[in-house]
Amino acid sequence: MMSATRILEGLGRFYIGLLLAFLYLPIVIMGLMSFNASPFYQLPFEWTTKWYEDLSRNTQLLAATWNSLEIAVITTVISTLLGTAASLALFRYEFRGKKFLQALLFPPIAIPWLITGTAMLIFFFGIGIGRGLHAILLGHVALALPYVIVVVSARLQTFAPELEEAARSLGANQWQVTMRVTLPWIMPGVIAGALFAFAVSFDQFVVSYFLSTPGQATLPVEIYAAIRKGFTPEINAVSTIIIAVSMGLMLITARFFRFGGEK
Amino acid sequence: MADVQVESVSRSFGAHKALDDVSIAFPDGGFYALLGPSGSGKTTLLRLIAGFDFPDSGRIIIGREGVERVPVEKRRIGMVFQNYALFPNMSVADNVAFGLSVRGESKASIAREVRQALDLVQLGKLGERRPHQLSGGQRQRVALARAIVTKPRVLLLDEPLSALDKALRVDMQVELKRIQREIGITTIFVTHDQEEALTMSDRIGILRDGRLVEEGPPEDIYNSPKSEFSATFLGDANILRGDATGDGIRLSDGTAIVASGGVANATGGKASCAVRPERIKIATATASPLAAEGNMLRGRVSKRIFAGNSSTYFVDRMGEVIKVHVQNSGATKIEEGNDVVLHWSPESTVLISAA
Amino acid sequence: MAGNIAAGPLSGIRPALPLLAPAYLWLTLAIFLPLSAMAFFSFMTDLPLSGKDWSFTIRNYAAFFSSGLYVTLLWSSLRLGLEVTLWCALIGFPAAYVLAKVLKGRSREAIFLLVILPFWSNGLVRIFSWAMVLREGGILDVVLNAILPFKISVDLMYSYPAVIIGLVHSYVPYMVLTCYLTLQAIDDSLIEAARSLGASRLQVLRRLIIPLAMPGLIAGAVLIFVPVVGSFMEPRILGGRTGTFYGTVIEDQFVAVFNWPLGAALSFILLAVVLVILAAASPVLRRAT
Repeated sequence: MMSATRILEGLGRFYIGLLLAFLYLPIVIMGLMSFNASPFYQLPFEWTTKWYEDLSRNTQLLAATWNSLEIAVITTVISTLLGTAASLALFRYEFRGKKFLQALLFPPIAIPWLITGTAMLIFFFGIGIGRGLHAILLGHVALALPYVIVVVSARLQTFAPELEEAARSLGANQWQVTMRVTLPWIMPGVIAGALFAFAVSFDQFVVSYFLSTPGQATLPVEIYAAIRKGFTPEINAVSTIIIAVSMGLMLITARFFRFGGEK
Repeated sequence: MADVQVESVSRSFGAHKALDDVSIAFPDGGFYALLGPSGSGKTTLLRLIAGFDFPDSGRIIIGREGVERVPVEKRRIGMVFQNYALFPNMSVADNVAFGLSVRGESKASIAREVRQALDLVQLGKLGERRPHQLSGGQRQRVALARAIVTKPRVLLLDEPLSALDKALRVDMQVELKRIQREIGITTIFVTHDQEEALTMSDRIGILRDGRLVEEGPPEDIYNSPKSEFSATFLGDANILRGDATGDGIRLSDGTAIVASGGVANATGGKASCAVRPERIKIATATASPLAAEGNMLRGRVSKRIFAGNSSTYFVDRMGEVIKVHVQNSGATKIEEGNDVVLHWSPESTVLISAA
Repeated sequence: MAGNIAAGPLSGIRPALPLLAPAYLWLTLAIFLPLSAMAFFSFMTDLPLSGKDWSFTIRNYAAFFSSGLYVTLLWSSLRLGLEVTLWCALIGFPAAYVLAKVLKGRSREAIFLLVILPFWSNGLVRIFSWAMVLREGGILDVVLNAILPFKISVDLMYSYPAVIIGLVHSYVPYMVLTCYLTLQAIDDSLIEAARSLGASRLQVLRRLIIPLAMPGLIAGAVLIFVPVVGSFMEPRILGGRTGTFYGTVIEDQFVAVFNWPLGAALSFILLAVVLVILAAASPVLRRAT
């Protein structure tokens, strides 16, 4: 009777193990295959770095990688700045329509990217912005903004407004209060928001896909095109790199921002 | 109803011995308070009796049934939690009905018993409310009704009043006691509040570091504690230390303190005496000496704290501080810095074997 | 403007505007105007900027309802969404329960992070990785043939189950996350109280834990159902020719057929479906946050 708890815990661990296997096995296998000599993923396994070497000579994929990084970095900077400013305003001021503004953050998150992406395509085309990297950047910042605002606002919730009042009572002006009291406190949230923004942009496929033109595409768009032409081990190689980068990035984020792990 | 026996129960968490060979008999229909500071093992013991946890060794017997390996849902106990643990997704009536309904009782009999239980705790009209719509005291009553409606063999209370403010707490103490008497259920009550333990229980067990240090009726423990720990933890006490003289102690300056309560001890060793602050009489040294009451000490008032109906004097005597409680009945107060004489009877002095 | 901060949150939108405007202007330009433009555009005969003549029409919506094809495809996408959501709930809820209520100590946080980590890696690449596993001669095929005494050929690639597997793999961390958050918020003493009243583990689960975790389940379901109904990349990669769904048809209108007005109408109909679902779930979602 007493061991019922023990048995349950054992079963639970086993179950989580299965789930983790389900989540990670395909990724691990893809990673292994990127080091397998056979271009048709035949076993037995034969070690090679040929595909990574090929990749390093694939100018199209390299250019797309560079585009992706560039857009992700710019997206991160812009959306973090604008998002943090908006979070501060939403935290600090009371005004009519505030609830509405907060509610407006959810459509970009909740509406499928297919709809958002096609809508952007139509609109940007219609008003002459057109397609290309600039359009992709425009879209990415809009997609990343709500994440930044939500994350920074969550951090602001833990900030006691009395601290700002105390700083003001000591003679600090609004700007000094923000820079020397508020921002240092919410910095972990801002950093987490920035990393989220980077991840949203770097992993974004759907919106980029509709806004790209040949030669002006991000890495996921090129990968999708390549997959539809037929699998090649080079795609495995570049995919493995992407997974490693984004998971590594998320692990860093987790250090700054503990989702759900509190208590 | 049933009595509960805990026999030589031990429970460790890693290297920490939460309970070390504890044996207690909880009498049938009695109200037993487990008192101790945090970390004393009182909550661990309650959880073992409830069946949330199991002892490493020893027996737990409810009625005649050894239950130490029976899981909680089969033990037929009722428990009231510190935070009440009312189910937020259910109405008050559904909360109370829960225990009956998981037993598969008929709807009609559930409705009847729930009504009775809510009436008993004087919440008859609030059955449709949600827990979050209730005040703290009302939640407390719902938790109690829910625990007793299943007619458990024993009622376990885990610091049930600690979340209430003071005035409400006193009301609930009376109320809880009334209900307990009315249904005559064996009740085990965990608290760190000595006042609560004194006012509510028939018996008190004092736990410390996983061991039962003393148990008995509240008045007995209060009047003649067997250890310095019980004396100071249950109520306030002045502890005087010295050499044992058989019927008391001799302080370092030669003053003899005579005790008529407590254990007699052999001469030659160290011993201590406990004196309750409210048993000591205080007078200015210049006033005409009162009839000697046996034990007398001199000192100087170093501080006086006014607390409404009473005052506490801190009397300095050769570096040691003796506390004296005095009812504020209009007698002239003694200023700080005055020399005073303290005296009290041997009957108010409890001899404690050296700790 | 300055000076009255000590009076608590400031009132009036004016001081907030300089901070709010950049972000919300950007959102307006890149999200809200495009969505409105799409609604407008879905009533047109042709691109207004292409130099050709255009006029207002409801032809695009008529096309949706008259041709049974689009309705059927929307229906199969909704079914796909339901199936994936159901699988995610069946797989994700127990995992969230184990994480929140069974595992204790430090390992819990690390495992939780591991479970939701893939969610933040590239979705396209993760879908692609299943191709290695599911295709004939892939890992699943090789491993099963090595274990089983008889010869079978496992080729799930380009099939409906492959699409389901890929989508469940993509979205199950969402369900674990939302359920974990609500389950973790359930005080352990509630469970203990229920058990002290005689409820078995199963009764506690059915009558207490699942009702209390419902906001998390529903939040997870919405967050999975909505994007799955609009998915097109996953069915394309794993479904091949069988992977024709509502999303892939919209994609075609924009990148292959170039019938943008029809594409806009189809997108807008999908948006309407999504908004109905979000509106229906929003009271529960609001309670969950």
